[in-house]
Amino acid sequence: MVDQQHTHDRNSMVWMEKISKKFGTITALQEVDFGVEGGEVRALLGDNGAGKSTLIKILMGVYQPTEGQIYFEGKPVKIGSPREARAVGIEAVYQDLALVNLMSISRNFFLGREMIKSLGPFHWLDTRKMDEICLRSLHDVGIEIRSSSERVGSLSGGERQSIAIGRGIHFGAKVLILDEPTSALSVAETRKVLNYITNARERGLAVIFITHNVHHVYMLADSYTVIRHGKNVGTYSKGDLSEDDIADLITGDREI
Amino acid sequence: MVKMEGLLRAPDTWQNKLRRTFSESTIAGPAAVLLIIFALLSIFVPNFFTFRSITGILNAVTLTGTLTVGVTMLMIGGEFDLSVGSLMAVGGYAYGTLCMAGQPALGLVLGLVIPALLGSLNGLLLVWTGIPSFIVTLGTKYFYRGMLWVVTAGTMLQTIDRLPIYNLFNGRLDVLNNLFKAANFRTALLWLLLLVIVFQFLLVRTRFGNHVFAVGGNPGAALGQGVNVKQIRVLNFVITGALAGFAGILLFSQYYTVRVASGDGLELSAIAAAVVGGTMITGGAGNIWGALVGALIISTLRTGVVLMNIPFIPADNFDAIVGVTIVLAAILNTYLRSRA
Repeated sequence: MVDQQHTHDRNSMVWMEKISKKFGTITALQEVDFGVEGGEVRALLGDNGAGKSTLIKILMGVYQPTEGQIYFEGKPVKIGSPREARAVGIEAVYQDLALVNLMSISRNFFLGREMIKSLGPFHWLDTRKMDEICLRSLHDVGIEIRSSSERVGSLSGGERQSIAIGRGIHFGAKVLILDEPTSALSVAETRKVLNYITNARERGLAVIFITHNVHHVYMLADSYTVIRHGKNVGTYSKGDLSEDDIADLITGDREI
Repeated sequence: MVKMEGLLRAPDTWQNKLRRTFSESTIAGPAAVLLIIFALLSIFVPNFFTFRSITGILNAVTLTGTLTVGVTMLMIGGEFDLSVGSLMAVGGYAYGTLCMAGQPALGLVLGLVIPALLGSLNGLLLVWTGIPSFIVTLGTKYFYRGMLWVVTAGTMLQTIDRLPIYNLFNGRLDVLNNLFKAANFRTALLWLLLLVIVFQFLLVRTRFGNHVFAVGGNPGAALGQGVNVKQIRVLNFVITGALAGFAGILLFSQYYTVRVASGDGLELSAIAAAVVGGTMITGGAGNIWGALVGALIISTLRTGVVLMNIPFIPADNFDAIVGVTIVLAAILNTYLRSRA
């Protein structure tokens, strides 16, 4: 049993302690511990329906835990809504839920954080400034776009991911949550996205990489947390286990 | 710092920008359609290209156009309102009753506020129950009109007084009318134009409008980025309700009469005009100018058909042409969008 070798405590960047979530009579999560440090990529692994997305939605403020406590930078916090999550620096980069395809890159970049010009009681969008800043700050993290007025829907999956990641870095996110970021991408695009994730880690961000496929994350993650049927299976450091061992833990084919 | 492998793109050229502006604009296609229809009718139909016909077309869009401004905003936000026809009648009664009681200012306020409150009820029912707005407003469409019947005992409202406030909303614009032969420009047109400009600005130049696009395009992403999705939805219904009330005010100012059945069926005309004007029925894309253009296309065709006097398509069967227009417009808009 290698369990809990990689110990976290309440002083991590994020620490979710004994989180339980019930939907009516169904127990989705039962006393799950999960956390991530700054400058670390933590993989959250589990089969479909294991409770990964429920756990992350609790961290994002979409759901409230039935029991348990979240600590952020050592302090107990209550995250009541996605807005509050973002205010403390938790940024989600969901495959389909990060960007609005019908809107331009810069409108997506500043969505919910628009820059405003005012004259008396009138407020309007400072679109020129937003376009400029969007272009420049994406450039700064190594993402080149043709124009910030281009629609997100016309970009490739990898480009979309990178824009969501770049947005998080620009707005000073401390925790990036990536939900299956590479599952629909080509090999070349996956490599680019993994590069951006590495870049975020170098900048000291805590990265949570959610996937059901250990192969997508084995090279990149510093540690792994596996959950199954809403319970912790264990948390392991890089090198503790082989890819196959982890795959077996996800499915429950073999206890280690 | 890791060396980044950038996503290299060709630099933006002006041709590219132009192509994008045209193909991504939801207004270019409908505007072109309107011009073509107008040109064809002007060439081939006698008496069409006269100020009498043209101002007739314009005056006919003021009511549907006002409803369509709200409905377009709402559809961009991903919702439908089938109750706007009923709310228009409610607004017309509130305004008309108080005007006839010698309280036009109060009538104006309540003619806007009561439909706005009923609109907020639509929105609240949607966000509380999660029932699709199509169903919620299908129910309230009947409920509001039924309650109007109860409150008014089904009596028609009619006035012979000519209060100055009626001229404010439907007076003759003699400055323009004197310039053109047989022209009949009305102030209602200016009100519609003002609404289009204000709401287009609200839509594309304010934070609220940005959030409307986001909620309609991808509510999950909007929520994830901290947009108050429920608040945006309710506000959109309030706006649509107030605009329906304003259409009722225009109606009473125009005809000096309002019936319980007034505005019935206009909810679908407004949706049709919005779709013809390039608004995406699934939300997330559209343009308030498109609302005006869509209403104008339908009104132009109607006038054209009447003037053509075709034996087998009497003006009463105009619905057939509206139906064909909606489908053709949807096909055209989808085609333009696929090239974007």
